[in-house]
Amino acid sequence: MARVAVSRGRGPAVIAGAVAAALLLAGCSTGSKVDVKGSGGAGGASGTLKVAIAGEPDQLDPQKTSSYFSFEVLENVFDTLVEPDAKLTMQPALAKSWTTSTDQLTWTFSLRQGVTFQDGSKFSASDVVYSYNRIIDDKLSNAYKFANVKSVTAKDPSTVVISLKQPTPNLLSNLGGFKGMAIVEKSNVTDKKIATQPIGTGPFSVAKWTQGDSITLKANPKYWGGAPKVAGITYRFISSGATAIAALKSGEIDWTDSIPAQQVSTLKSASGITLGNVPSNDYWYLALNEKRKPWNDVRVRQAIAYAINRDDIVKVAKYGNAQVNELAIPKQSAWYTSYDKYSTNIAKAKQLLSQAGVSGTVKLDFLATSDYPETVSAAQVIADELQPLGIKVSIRTPDFATWLQQQNSGKFDMLMMGWLGNIDPDDFYYNQHHTGGGSNAQGYSNKTVDKLLDAARTETDQAKRKQDYAQAATQIADDASYIYLYNPTVIQAYDSKVKGYTVRGDRAIRFKDVSLG
Amino acid sequence: MTNVDASKPVPVPLPEAAPIAAAGTRIAAWRLLLRSPVTVASAVVLLVLVLVAVVAAPLVAAGVNHTDVLHALQGPSGKHWFGTDDLGRDILVRTVGAAQVSLTVAVVSVAFALIVGTAAGVLAGYLGGWVDTVIMRIADVMFAFPVLLLALAIVAILQPGMVTTILAIGVVYTPIFARVARASTLAVRVEPYVEVSRTMGTPTWAILVRHVLPGISGPVLVQTSLSLAFAILSEAALSFLGLGIQPPQPSWGGMLFTAQGFLGLAWWMSVFPGAAIFVSVLAFNLLGDGLRDVLDPRQRTVLEARTRR
Repeated sequence: MARVAVSRGRGPAVIAGAVAAALLLAGCSTGSKVDVKGSGGAGGASGTLKVAIAGEPDQLDPQKTSSYFSFEVLENVFDTLVEPDAKLTMQPALAKSWTTSTDQLTWTFSLRQGVTFQDGSKFSASDVVYSYNRIIDDKLSNAYKFANVKSVTAKDPSTVVISLKQPTPNLLSNLGGFKGMAIVEKSNVTDKKIATQPIGTGPFSVAKWTQGDSITLKANPKYWGGAPKVAGITYRFISSGATAIAALKSGEIDWTDSIPAQQVSTLKSASGITLGNVPSNDYWYLALNEKRKPWNDVRVRQAIAYAINRDDIVKVAKYGNAQVNELAIPKQSAWYTSYDKYSTNIAKAKQLLSQAGVSGTVKLDFLATSDYPETVSAAQVIADELQPLGIKVSIRTPDFATWLQQQNSGKFDMLMMGWLGNIDPDDFYYNQHHTGGGSNAQGYSNKTVDKLLDAARTETDQAKRKQDYAQAATQIADDASYIYLYNPTVIQAYDSKVKGYTVRGDRAIRFKDVSLG
Repeated sequence: MTNVDASKPVPVPLPEAAPIAAAGTRIAAWRLLLRSPVTVASAVVLLVLVLVAVVAAPLVAAGVNHTDVLHALQGPSGKHWFGTDDLGRDILVRTVGAAQVSLTVAVVSVAFALIVGTAAGVLAGYLGGWVDTVIMRIADVMFAFPVLLLALAIVAILQPGMVTTILAIGVVYTPIFARVARASTLAVRVEPYVEVSRTMGTPTWAILVRHVLPGISGPVLVQTSLSLAFAILSEAALSFLGLGIQPPQPSWGGMLFTAQGFLGLAWWMSVFPGAAIFVSVLAFNLLGDGLRDVLDPRQRTVLEARTRR
C-alpha cells in the first residue's frame, strides 16, 4: 500500500491512488459491535464514531509518512501553524496571526496562548522551530517546501520568525497545506514513540493501535478549539468497497471513503445514508513523450487533444464523478482560469496531423497501470477514439512501481496519470512544465512558460501572480504539454446520524465538529 | 481457476499390445467413439467453437473494441444479445472475438508442450541412462512448482502479452507430456517388434518415428485433449490476474477480470464469458474422457463387450 502513497503534490496519483489500489485488495476485518454509550467520554461528549478507511497506515509520524491512510487519522491528532479552510484559503491554527516585512523576506508568526500537547506539556515557539528544523535537517520528503527558507527562529516563547532567501508568496500553503507539516513534540520524537504513539495538539489523541485491526482515538477535552463532541473515534481498515458499503448500510460503521466510483449510484438511493461527492483539487491528464517522434510536433499533440472525448473518459473512468477540465486547477479554486479550446473535432485533428506531415498508420505505446483501473478503462476508450486518425494504440498495464520506472526512463509514447492534493498553482505547474522540472517526464520546454513560472514563484502581488499563472497554464495547454482531462470528486458516505461533518475538496478528514445525533 | 489435476499426468494404462496389430478382430476406434453420445456431443460443441473462432471471429474483429460510452452497462436486449460492458462494447461480439484468442492460446501452447514434451519424454524413455536422468529431473523440478505460480514467474520475467501467455502455458505443460511419453516409451521399447527392428540395424531415429511414436500416440492424444481444457483455464486465470492477454484485446478471463468490479451491477458482464469458459473446458474434458475409454485397452474391452452384446 505504502508504495502507492507518496506525499501530497509530490508523487503522481498519490492519495486517491492509495485508495484505488486498496480497493483492489480483498479482505477486511470484522467489526466490533455498536458502542452506544461511548468510552472515555469527556464532558458532554458521547458516543464513538466508527470509521472505515480503505487501508492501514504505515506509521503515525506525520512528518515521515507518505500514506494517505495515515493522514486520515493524523488530521485529527495534529495541528499546523495555519490550516486550509473549506475553500482552501489559509486560516490561523496554532499561529494566531502573522506579519510580513516590507521586503517580503521575514515572516513573524504570533502563536496561540495556552495550547498544550495531549500529554499535558506546554506548546511553545521552540516546538515549531524543532519541528521545522527536523524536516529540513533530516531531509524528510517535505523538505522541498522549505527550499526558500533561510532560518526558523524563536524570538520569544510565543513568536516564531521565518526568514527567507527570496519572496515566497505561497509560504502559508507550504506551512499548512496538510498535516505532513505538523508541529510535533521533541520528546515524542527522541523516544521514538511517534511512529506508533504520536502526541499532538489536535482534538483527538491516539489511544490504541491494534496492528491489522483498528486504531482508536480519544477526545482531547483540553483542545484549544473546544472539546470534540464525540468521546472517541475507531478507525477500521476495509479495502473492499462492497464490504465497506454493506457495513455502512447495516450500521456497523458510521463513515467510510472506501467506495469504488461505480458503486456511487447504489448509495444515492440508500436511505439513512448521506453521500458526499464534492469537487477535489486533483487532476488527471495525458502526456505525450516529446523526446520521441512524431509527438515532438505540437500539431500532433494537439490533434490527439482534439480527437478525444472528455465526457466519455469521465464516464468510463469515474462514472460521472468528475468535472471535465482542460486545465489543471478546478473551478472552485481561487486560481481557476477558464479555458475551452479542445472540443472533440476529428476533422480538425486530421487536418493538424496532415499539416504535421503524419500519414499512414502511426503506432502509439500507451502506458496505463492496473493499480489505477481508471487509466486502463480510459486508455481503451482513447484507443478507440484515435483509430480514425490512423493512430494504432497498444496499451500496457504494469503495476504502479513499474509504471513509475517506465515513466522516469522515458519508455512510453503516451501516459495517463493524476496529481493530487495540490493547493498553490506553483504545485500544479512548476515541476511538471518548467524546462528540466523534476516531474517533467514528457520533456516539455518553452522559454515563455519558464519565465512566467519563475516570475510567479516570487511575485507578491496576488493579482499579477494569478495573471502569470493563467498565462502560463494557457500556453501549457495550447502546447499540449499535458492534455488535461478532469478533476475527480471526493466520494465519502456516512450515516445520516453523523452531524457537523463536511466533505472537503483537499481530502482532509476532520471529525472535531462531528456529533452523533 | 487453478487446477491441481493439470500438474499430474493422466493415468492412462499402457497399451499392452500394439493396438493396430489387433485391429482385425476388434471394432475400429472411431466406430467406438461414435457410439458414445457424450463424446459425439462434445466433439460437435468443439467443432462449433472452432467454427466460431475461425469464421465468426474475423467477421466481428472490427467491432470488438468499438466503444459506445453512452450505451455502457446495458442488459441483454434485441440490439445487444449479451448486453454491453462498462465501455459500452457489445459482449456477444467480444465473447466471439475472445474465442479466437482463447483457442489460439490453448492450441499453440499445447502444441508447444506436445512437441517439446513428447520429444524429451521419448528420448528419455528410449535412450535411458544419463539422458533419462537429466531430462526427468528437470521435469521433476518443474513439477515442484504449482502450475499457476510457474506461469506467473514466467510472465513476471517477460512482458505480459499474448506471446508470453502462450509461452508460459506451453512451458508449464511440457513436463506433463514428457512424463506421459516417457512412461509409454518404456513399455513400447521392449516390445518384440521394436527389438527385432533394432537387431536388424534400423537407425534409432527410424525406430522412434516408425515404431515408438505410433505406439505411444493413444495416451499422448488423451493428454492433449485434457491439456487443451486446462490451457483455456490457465489463460483465463492469467488474464483474470491482469497478466495474460492485455486490454483492449478481448479474452474470456480478461472479461471476467473487468466484470468483477460490476458484480452487483451488471451480471451479464461475467455470466457470458464465464459460460464460454465452462462450455469449452467441459467439452475438451469429455472428449478426452471419451478418447481414453477407446484408447485404453482395459476400458476398451468393457466397451467392446457392451457393443457386441
